Amino acid sequence: MDRQPLFKRKTAISYKTEEKTVMRGYNVSDLAEAGYSFCDALFVLYQGRIPTDAEEKMLKYEMGVFLEHSMSPSAVAAIGVCAGRPNLPCAIAAAVSTFGGVHGPGAAHGYMLNKYLERAQREGKTPEEMAKILVDEYMDAGKPVMGMGQPQHIDSDPRAEPIHVKQEELGLQGVYLRFQRALEAYFHERRKREGRSDVGVNVVGSGNTALMEIGFSPMAGWCLGSVCRGWSCAAHALFNMKKGRAWGASRNEPMVQMIDLSMIKYVGPEDRVVPKQEERQEYARKQKEEGEYKKWAI
Amino acid sequence: MGDLNETKKKRGIGNLGSPKMPFDYFNREYGTVSRDTQRAPFQWVSEVAYKNVHRIVSRGYDTTELMEEGYGVVDVLFVDYQSRIPLIEEEQMLNYVMILALEDGLSPPAAMSRIVARTKTFLTQAAAASILAFGHAYGAYSAFGNRLERYLKKADAQKLTLAEAAELLVKESAEEYESLGVSNLMLKDPAAKRMIARAEKQGVAGKYIAFMNEIVRAAQKQSPEAVDIDMLGATGATMMDLGFSAEATWAILAVTRALATGAHYIEEIERHPYMRMGEALTPEEDYDGPADRPVPPLEDRAKVAKPGICRSVDEWAKAREERKKLVGSGHAVVEEIEDPSKKSGIEKVGKL
Repeated sequence: MDRQPLFKRKTAISYKTEEKTVMRGYNVSDLAEAGYSFCDALFVLYQGRIPTDAEEKMLKYEMGVFLEHSMSPSAVAAIGVCAGRPNLPCAIAAAVSTFGGVHGPGAAHGYMLNKYLERAQREGKTPEEMAKILVDEYMDAGKPVMGMGQPQHIDSDPRAEPIHVKQEELGLQGVYLRFQRALEAYFHERRKREGRSDVGVNVVGSGNTALMEIGFSPMAGWCLGSVCRGWSCAAHALFNMKKGRAWGASRNEPMVQMIDLSMIKYVGPEDRVVPKQEERQEYARKQKEEGEYKKWAI
Repeated sequence: MGDLNETKKKRGIGNLGSPKMPFDYFNREYGTVSRDTQRAPFQWVSEVAYKNVHRIVSRGYDTTELMEEGYGVVDVLFVDYQSRIPLIEEEQMLNYVMILALEDGLSPPAAMSRIVARTKTFLTQAAAASILAFGHAYGAYSAFGNRLERYLKKADAQKLTLAEAAELLVKESAEEYESLGVSNLMLKDPAAKRMIARAEKQGVAGKYIAFMNEIVRAAQKQSPEAVDIDMLGATGATMMDLGFSAEATWAILAVTRALATGAHYIEEIERHPYMRMGEALTPEEDYDGPADRPVPPLEDRAKVAKPGICRSVDEWAKAREERKKLVGSGHAVVEEIEDPSKKSGIEKVGKL
C-alpha cells in the first residue's frame, strides 16, 4: 500500500502518521476524548490555542445562527446543481462557491475594520473618530459600507443585533465591537441626516466583528461563516434529491417547476436568420461595423 | 414569425429540411412560452427552513431563539437534518466525530484547496473545491452507509443474525473494499476504536455500531492480512447511530473538513507565490507516452490519418482493447451512473 505523501509541503497545521493525527501539536483523538467541542477544535486549527469558555460559546452561537438561512444564493445554487443529480458534494461545493463579494463577504468586512483600526493607531485617533472617517469615506465615494443592510431582512437582520448583545453578555467586548458599534451609530446618524431610510447591521457586520474579537483573522472568519452554510445548503439539496423532482421542469407536477419553459423571459436580440458560410465574411464585417452587437455584449 | 420561417425555408438550413426529420422544422414557433396559469406558480418548496423579513426558521425553530436558548452550531445540524433537538450525549458525540473529521493532514481535500489557492482565488472557491474531493473512495459515507442499510434489511428479511449478515456483506463487497470501513489503515492508530468506545460509553451506540463490530470480525476472519475498523467505518457507523442518513453524513463531514481546508488555503498563499498559467513544468522523465514525433503536414492528412470508425462488432471489440492501452483515453474505465430521477418527486405540493 502506497501511503506516500500526496502533496509535498511544509505545514504548520497538522501532520499524520500511522499512529496519530496531530493538529497544531494536539493529537485530535486526545482532543475529542478530553471533551473539547468542535468549536474548540476550530480555535486550535486557526489560532493554535484552546479558547476560553466564553470564546467557545461565542463561536458556537455565531456559527449556529449563520448555518441556516433558507433561500439565499447559496441554497439556490445547491438546489440548482442537484437538479441534475450529480454527486452530493457538487451541490455543496456550488453553495459554498456563492460566497463572494456580496453574499457573506466576511473577509472584506474584516479587512475594512483592520485597515481603519491600523490607521486609527497610526494617526492617534479613537475608534469612534476613525469610524466616522470610515463611514464618510465609504459613503462619499458611493461605496456600500460592509456589514450594513440585508436585501431580505429589510427591517434589521434577525441575527445581527442578538450577536452583538451575546458578545456583550459574554464579556467579549474589545476594540472590534467598540469600532463596529461606533461605525453603526454614525452610519445611522448620517443616513438620518440625509433623509435616507434606516439600514441595519447585517449578520456579517455583527458576526464577523465577534469572530475577529475572539481572535480569528478576516480570512478565517470568512471560512467559518461561509463554509458552515454548506451544511444547511446540503440539507436543502438532499431534500430536493430525496423528495423533489430531478431536472426541475416536469409538467406533471401540480406546481410550475423552477426551470419550466414558462419561467424564461427573453429580452435579447430578435429572432434572425443564420448567415450561410458564403455570406459569413461580409455579414460579420457589417455586423462589426454597425456595432449594434455591443449593446448585447457582456 | 411566419415570414422568417418562410425565408429560412427558401434558403434551406443544412439538414434541417431533410425528410428524415420527425418534424417540419420550418413550421416552428418563435418566442418564449406563456405563463402557465393552470398550475400554481413556482415557489421554492422546502421542509427544511423558511425565512421572512424578521425570522429565520429551521424545522419550526427560530434559529436566533435556538442560539439564545443556549444551543449551538452542532445542535442545528440535528435540527436541519433530523428535525429534532439532540440529547446532550448525542450533541457531545457529534462534536467528537467532527473534531476527528476536521483535519487529516495533506489529504486530497487539503491538496485541492491548496492547488486552487495557488491560482489566486477566493478562499470560498478553494474550500468548495475541497468538498469535491469527497468521492466514493475518500469520502465513501454514502456507499458505506447505504450498504449497511441494505444488509440490515436483508438480515431482517432473511432472518439472518447480525454476524451472518456481516459475513455476507464482507464476502459480497470485495470489489468495493474502499467503502467497507475495515482496512489496514488504522492498525497502529487507535482513534477509530476509541470513537466506537466513546459512542458506547455515551450510550449512543445502536444497531449500526453493533453491525459494524460484526463486519470488523467478519473481515478479520476473511482477510488474509491484518485489518481493523478505520475512520470511515467508525465515523460512518457512529453518525448513523446518531440518526443521520448516509447522505447527511457525507454532507456534514465533507463540510466539516472544508472548514479546515480554509486553513490550508491560507497557509498556501502565506508560504508560496501564486502560480501563473504555463509556469508549472512536467519533467520529461515523468512522461511515458508516445515518443516525440514530427507533426505531418496538413496536406498529408489523408495519408497519415487513421480512421476511428469500426464497421463490425468484432472490429469494435478489437479496437477497444487497443484503445484501452492509451492511458488517459478513458477506454479502460467502466462506470455505471444511475438515473435516480424516478425515485423522487414531490406529491401534491403547491396545487393551485
